[in-house]
Amino acid sequence: MGLLTILKKMKQKEKEVRILMLGLDNAGKTTILKKFIGDDINTISPTLGFNIKTVEHRGFKLNIWDVGGQKSLRSYWRNYFESTDGLVWVVDGADKRRLADCVQELHKLLVEERLAGATLLVFANKQDLPGALSAVEIKEVLDLESIKTHHWSILPCSAVTGQNLLEGIDWMLDDISSRIFTLD
Amino acid sequence: MELKFTAIMEATFVSRNSSSHRRFDVIIGTIEDIIMSEEFQIIQRSFMDKYYLQFEDTEENKFIYTDIFQEYGAIIERYLEEQLRLRIPEFSMSKFASSLQAHKDEITDEIFDMFITFTDFIAFKEMFLDYRAEKEGRNVDLMQGLVVHSIAPSHCSVVTTS
Repeated sequence: MGLLTILKKMKQKEKEVRILMLGLDNAGKTTILKKFIGDDINTISPTLGFNIKTVEHRGFKLNIWDVGGQKSLRSYWRNYFESTDGLVWVVDGADKRRLADCVQELHKLLVEERLAGATLLVFANKQDLPGALSAVEIKEVLDLESIKTHHWSILPCSAVTGQNLLEGIDWMLDDISSRIFTLD
Repeated sequence: MELKFTAIMEATFVSRNSSSHRRFDVIIGTIEDIIMSEEFQIIQRSFMDKYYLQFEDTEENKFIYTDIFQEYGAIIERYLEEQLRLRIPEFSMSKFASSLQAHKDEITDEIFDMFITFTDFIAFKEMFLDYRAEKEGRNVDLMQGLVVHSIAPSHCSVVTTS
């Protein structure tokens, strides 16, 4: 273990949780992040790099990392895997054309060693749009039942209305804290 | 005689009890010394000079910031570890790591703040943005909220500062 890792551990006084939010481009990751923390969501443009927001929630310090999802950017995702407690996979429920791509990218992440311990929350986003696939349908397409390596859950949500965002994050926090902080 | 003996026993006990404290304090103090040293400041400054133009004061971060952050961490860590072993020949990383747990509460906020730019990305980015503002002659904190009122009549041309 290097000195900086040791110093970093020393710094952690409060319960810190690192959440990584990924998904295809235009899935609504940045909008979910901003809606969750109460920022304005009207001026969001495609993310070409990454955003980080830190919020206090239920006595935890949540560090939420939102990384751009365009195809050319996905090779950068791996730089953000380290120390991830929770992975939020955001699906655009109205984009049926790219579901196969979405399935493939998610399953690539699930075999990543550095994400091995992470809790998986899938947001079936854009439920406010007519014709969006339901969470049950997306669960089938993503073959979530086959996942044995991660604790997972899927929730229908809308980044625009805020529907289920808090519920999703709360489920994730419960799962993470039951794994990590029970020894305190 | 007996009194003296007890005193010695006590002294031995106290010194044994506090020797780990002292060792810990010496390491933390040495890290502080290294960070304050001119050589370290030069390393840090040349690193910042190399990269500060990459940093922009926008909410979204560029991927290159992550590469720069990792490079910074690696350089700082290598230098700190090298200097620690040089200055404290018996330094052991694993002993230091395990003693941290016991001495956690003795670390002051000032020391935490000093380490944070090495390990926390957001603090690291802030440091670069401050450095860039300073380099470009913008003292952000002082200029913000400064309103220049013209004392000239309103029909005169207005000189704005920005």
